[in-house]
Amino acid sequence: MIEVQHVAKRFSQGRGKKARTVQAVDGVSFQAADGCITGLLGPNGAGKTTTLRMLAALLPPDAGELRVDGVDVQRDPQAALARMGVLSDARGLYPRLTARENIVYYGRLHGMSDSAASRRAEALAHLLDMAPMLDRRTEGFSQGERMKTALARALVHNPPNIVLDEPTNGLDVLATRGLRDALRRLRDDEGKCIVFSTHIMQEVERLCDQVIVIAHGRTVAAGTVASLNALCGERDFEESFVKLAFSAEERARV
Amino acid sequence: MNAWIVFKKELVDALRDRRTLFMVLLSSVAIGPLVLIALSALVAGIEKRAEERTVVVAGMEHAPTLRNYLLRQTYRIDAAPADYESRLKNQSLADPVLLIGKDFEAELARGEAPLLEIVTSSGNQRAGTSVNRLTRLLRGFSNEQAVLRLALRGVAPATLEVLDVQERDLANPQSRAAQLTGMLPFFVLMAVLYGALNAALDTTAGERERGSLEPLLMNPASRLSLVIGKWGAVAAVGMLIALLSCFSFLPAQSLLRSETLAAMFQFGLREAALFLALLMPLAAALAAAMMAIAIRCKTFKEAQANNTVVVLGVSLLPLVTVFNQSGEAPWHLAVPALGQVALMNRVLKGEAVGAMDMALPLLVCALIATAGVLFVARQLRTAALR
Repeated sequence: MIEVQHVAKRFSQGRGKKARTVQAVDGVSFQAADGCITGLLGPNGAGKTTTLRMLAALLPPDAGELRVDGVDVQRDPQAALARMGVLSDARGLYPRLTARENIVYYGRLHGMSDSAASRRAEALAHLLDMAPMLDRRTEGFSQGERMKTALARALVHNPPNIVLDEPTNGLDVLATRGLRDALRRLRDDEGKCIVFSTHIMQEVERLCDQVIVIAHGRTVAAGTVASLNALCGERDFEESFVKLAFSAEERARV
Repeated sequence: MNAWIVFKKELVDALRDRRTLFMVLLSSVAIGPLVLIALSALVAGIEKRAEERTVVVAGMEHAPTLRNYLLRQTYRIDAAPADYESRLKNQSLADPVLLIGKDFEAELARGEAPLLEIVTSSGNQRAGTSVNRLTRLLRGFSNEQAVLRLALRGVAPATLEVLDVQERDLANPQSRAAQLTGMLPFFVLMAVLYGALNAALDTTAGERERGSLEPLLMNPASRLSLVIGKWGAVAAVGMLIALLSCFSFLPAQSLLRSETLAAMFQFGLREAALFLALLMPLAAALAAAMMAIAIRCKTFKEAQANNTVVVLGVSLLPLVTVFNQSGEAPWHLAVPALGQVALMNRVLKGEAVGAMDMALPLLVCALIATAGVLFVARQLRTAALR
């Protein structure tokens, strides 16, 4: 269960006369339930990644509250992180370590024993269909292989909450399908709370139980795909999304 | 606990970087012994010429008296080649040339001081070393002639010798060798620096560039424990290089070609252990310093450029003793790199190194290491996303 309430974040760039501030997030709120896939949908620069970074305790929010299973992220970041598996948009691996070593390293940092982490790596390799490359060094892995390894690494401690930042970036059709299947299984078999951000419509339509539309740093709508379509009086979700996320002037400019 | 996990992983990671490790080993660990061997060849060459007892002379036929004296001193007389000037300049002639004028014998007989010229080139070091020997030899001849003339006039030769001057050399064999081996500590120092450099950059700026820093920070481990683990691994790599380069001198000694140098250069287990005791804390301090500089950089390359400050500092600080002719000052020991080089030189000279002398650099290194580690941990807390 992940709760985000009215978070805001402002960045300042430059110094002196050139200084300017960017209000990256300005009141994003949503709730993601267990056993449910929640999609954060928004155009580029809407504040999705910043929100997820605040959720992962990488950035302190200027205002608002973030809770993971009731644990306040700001007050107790380590306990919150222990209940979350985060795949951020930076998903670098250690090229001189094998996929298994990469995964086990994180497991150890989560307090698992060597053997438990290794067993978990094998189970995840099975789930994500990456068993053959488990003991290869990650140097020279393809985009899809890298993503799978990074995802397995984020899930090594079997967290009840899973947060993914644009997980399908750079993946081909088959890899995307494989990832979708894996996420569905995590939801249905293990009742995980899954939050992922994206700007791809189809992904949301095919996968999400709940959609949060974010634009200009704000939550502008929330609900199922069908309910959002009904709200906008559209049958095509893309049309609904454009109506929700962009202002009339922005739409007119295109 | 977390620090230990990070330490193990970073060490494995660093040691798997075979190509870099190999280059470091080759360029820094092997270079000390190689320089030592090259030095010994140079010294052996000088010794050989000192034993050779030859003088190169142009116009020997004009000076039978001098020739007689030289032969009595068991010197071999070589005629100078016709192009001796150019050969001295291009260093193919390794002895100074004695030039004797046509009227030498007649002037000597008349009691006038005949002119003798010693031709050398100060750019030709090998010839330069023999000039003193030749001058001494000629002064001996001059003395002998003077004594003979005085004796002829019935004056006691002792009247001329108002003073009896003798030299007493206080340097023991080791400190004489240290003039030659003085650069060895510098090479060892460089080995440690370059050994730790790559690992220091890889665990900080490299991690950021790879995009693995952000995921790492999303583990429920404290930033300080992550940094301590990383620093420990970098320092361990530096210490490993220090160990290898110190002990590489032990087998290298047997290859010394100059017997005098071999006798003077005493580098045993005790010296190696003292070197290590000095270098290990320095490796830890350098690791922290380089990581502190690299953590603010976005890429490995940028970090490399910024760390030239440390590299330059460590290479230039030991030169303070060269520029500062007043010798070793107490504050030298408190300067990182300079203090270590000064103490290593003392070890090579066979001088006593007290516990206090070791404690001061150790304290300075501990301070630098602590400050560096805390700084890196702070940077990770505030600027994780830069």
